[in-house]
Amino acid sequence: MTAVIEFFTRRQGKKKLSLVDWVSYGFLFLGFLIIFLPVLWLIMNSVKSQFLLQKYDTNFLPLDYERVARATAYGPEGKEIMIIKDLPTWALFWKDLNKDERAEKDLDNLLSNYSGNEYYALRTHFELVSGAAKELIIERNLPEWLIKYPSMFPSAKKEYDPESIVSQLDPEETRLLSEYLGLKPYKPNGFTSQILISMMDPETSEVVEYSVSRIDPNRDIVNARLISNPQGGIVKLPVNEIILNKSLKPSWINYTDPLTKNVLGSFDAVRCINNSLFVTIVATLITLLINSMAAFALSKYRFNGQIIFFVIILATLMVPASVLIVGIFKMVTMTGLSGSLWGVIIPGAATPTGVFMLRQYMLTIPDELLEAARMDAASEWTIYWRIVFPLALPAIVVLGILSIIWRWNDLILPMIAVSTTKAAYTIQLCLLDFNGEYIAREHYGLAMTVVSLVPTTLVFVFLQKYITTGIASTGIK
Amino acid sequence: MANLKLLDIKKSYGKTEVVHGVDLEVLDGEFCVLVGPSGCGKSTLLRMIAGLEAITAGSILIDDVEVNNISAAKRGLAMVFQSYALYPHMTVRQNLAFGLENLKLDKADIDQRIIKAANQLRMEDYLKRKPGQLSGGQRQRVAIGRAIVREPSIYLFDEPLSNLDAELRVATRVELKALHARLGNTMVYVTHDQIEAMTMADKIVVMHDGIIEQTGTPLDLYNKPANLFVAGFIGSPKMNFLDCSSLPESVKKLAPKGAFTFGVRPEHLSIKEDNSLPLKVKNVEQLGSDSYLYGDTIDNQVLSIKLNNQTDIKSGQSINVGLDESDMHWFDSNGISL
Repeated sequence: MTAVIEFFTRRQGKKKLSLVDWVSYGFLFLGFLIIFLPVLWLIMNSVKSQFLLQKYDTNFLPLDYERVARATAYGPEGKEIMIIKDLPTWALFWKDLNKDERAEKDLDNLLSNYSGNEYYALRTHFELVSGAAKELIIERNLPEWLIKYPSMFPSAKKEYDPESIVSQLDPEETRLLSEYLGLKPYKPNGFTSQILISMMDPETSEVVEYSVSRIDPNRDIVNARLISNPQGGIVKLPVNEIILNKSLKPSWINYTDPLTKNVLGSFDAVRCINNSLFVTIVATLITLLINSMAAFALSKYRFNGQIIFFVIILATLMVPASVLIVGIFKMVTMTGLSGSLWGVIIPGAATPTGVFMLRQYMLTIPDELLEAARMDAASEWTIYWRIVFPLALPAIVVLGILSIIWRWNDLILPMIAVSTTKAAYTIQLCLLDFNGEYIAREHYGLAMTVVSLVPTTLVFVFLQKYITTGIASTGIK
Repeated sequence: MANLKLLDIKKSYGKTEVVHGVDLEVLDGEFCVLVGPSGCGKSTLLRMIAGLEAITAGSILIDDVEVNNISAAKRGLAMVFQSYALYPHMTVRQNLAFGLENLKLDKADIDQRIIKAANQLRMEDYLKRKPGQLSGGQRQRVAIGRAIVREPSIYLFDEPLSNLDAELRVATRVELKALHARLGNTMVYVTHDQIEAMTMADKIVVMHDGIIEQTGTPLDLYNKPANLFVAGFIGSPKMNFLDCSSLPESVKKLAPKGAFTFGVRPEHLSIKEDNSLPLKVKNVEQLGSDSYLYGDTIDNQVLSIKLNNQTDIKSGQSINVGLDESDMHWFDSNGISL
């Protein structure tokens, strides 16, 4: 740590910062920002809630609005619009929770705080109506067709007369059953989450709270509903005078949900990451082995056609990868590797870049070392494994780093080889998969994009020193 | 312990022949030095003996067994390279053990051999270091140690002293000679330095342009060089060569029939008032114990003289040089000794 501080506080000899120091640090900082700002933006966006992302929120920090619930209850007295404050966030976004999460919440305790229309609206919101209605039907020995009534065709509904049954019940039961059956004047109650804003009253100078459904930055006015009198209808407020109550609310579920397999549908981030890890590690090991062996042969043996082989290998560098797509696809399907991770690993195992890089490095290993090893009764494999491989390690590590990054970020090969098999999706395919789904899940997508950056970052942090140090002394003058 | 025979060895790279039929016998326990200017094929010859280079024609026999088609590993030889070729990523101990591990010796045996070699070469202190952390002399010892632990039948040295500074070179020369005396193995040693050859060899093989010019003991080569090349190569400073036609009558009359070139070593010349060869001194080098004089004869041929004492002769001075009949060398028009 002290070394880091010392490094970042270096200056040009004098005690005070000189102009050169200012310019240098300024330039460094600028460069850092240019490179890092987009990444930082991505990270910040990855902890924004789904709601904010859908609203194309442009804030840097994950600032979320204070929220209230706007509920509508229907009844004999007509429609009542209410604003329910102080609901916990999970209650506001009940619809987004899955079974397990819902089971964890203490609904009864929450509902016991409410009564009347607020209670009815929340009951509908928490999807408790049908369960309670069915219970009532069984408890009171009411006819069984009542249960099926809501899902009947209109023509079939005409054959029954639910009103006569409902009218015999007490008012609470009437409301419950009517809401279930969809009988007038009852209707399923409405519930939405809205943004809480406030504005100073120009006359009284009091701060008044309003709720709005959305704030459109392109418009000058916003349609708001007074919290203290929600029934009073919509008022139009000038956008530049309203006060937004924002608070820092990082949405960690963006990360925790996919990583704990808490997401509905076919998306399985953990499996995708595991697949990617497997592909990256195995493919890199195979790449290093094959490429270093090829480079060893090309750099240290004399054989007929040596130059031709080398030129052919180099020539493949000039073929654009996109040209090879069809060829690789045919190869993968014909060898039966389609849909298997090996179909991703094997076609990219030998890279001309790697062979070239390692060959050039191995040329610098003196032949005398190999001859000394031959005099020392070493087999050719021993020479490769115990002399050439360790000495070429700096180059091999560089290739390893490159290979890890290539493999982890690769999209083309997985698309060619495993796009039809969801179980074999790599992380990049998974991220792509978000676009094809019906439900908007950008928040998971962004979070998983950040997760997908972690391995390559770690590789750089921990392996970059090997690039610089290498094996310094060759022992040969 | 082994003897080595080379029968008509030839080596070509493509169409260029670099070794033109070499015959050589190295006896058991002999210290044989291959010497010659760079590019004469001596290193190639050594590498062919080692098995690192294929031979184009001829045969190599170790203990009268032909080894042409036996790989380097199985010939049972050990080689010390000019660059030492130590494995830079291994410690000294691992360097020594590498060859033994390849031979599948058991661990105790390997340890014992390493300790013995480390003792002999006084390198116990740096067994755990890597070659990069050693001085040139220490690396040299490790390279020799790597050969010793193998307990080979024949040691091959490829200019092992050329990377050392002058002082260390002399010391190591003595040490190598002592090592040879102690081990008693056959050794083949390649160098371009005739002093190394003269001081260490039991037998010197002078090579030039891919052929052997002369084989013999150091003094044989010095006293009876077979031709102009050997005469010029062995001895320092170089032997003086003069055209016979330009010699004064007193010397010319001693020439055998067919003599074309006259040779005399600088150390065999002396300054005499009354004798034959007039010389104009152009340069004088005083070394304290010795003095070198360089000058021109009447017909502008260069002549050098080595005196075993200090001298007050100055450059520009004219002197007379005297020589003994017994020290004269005569060569015919083909450069062959007469």
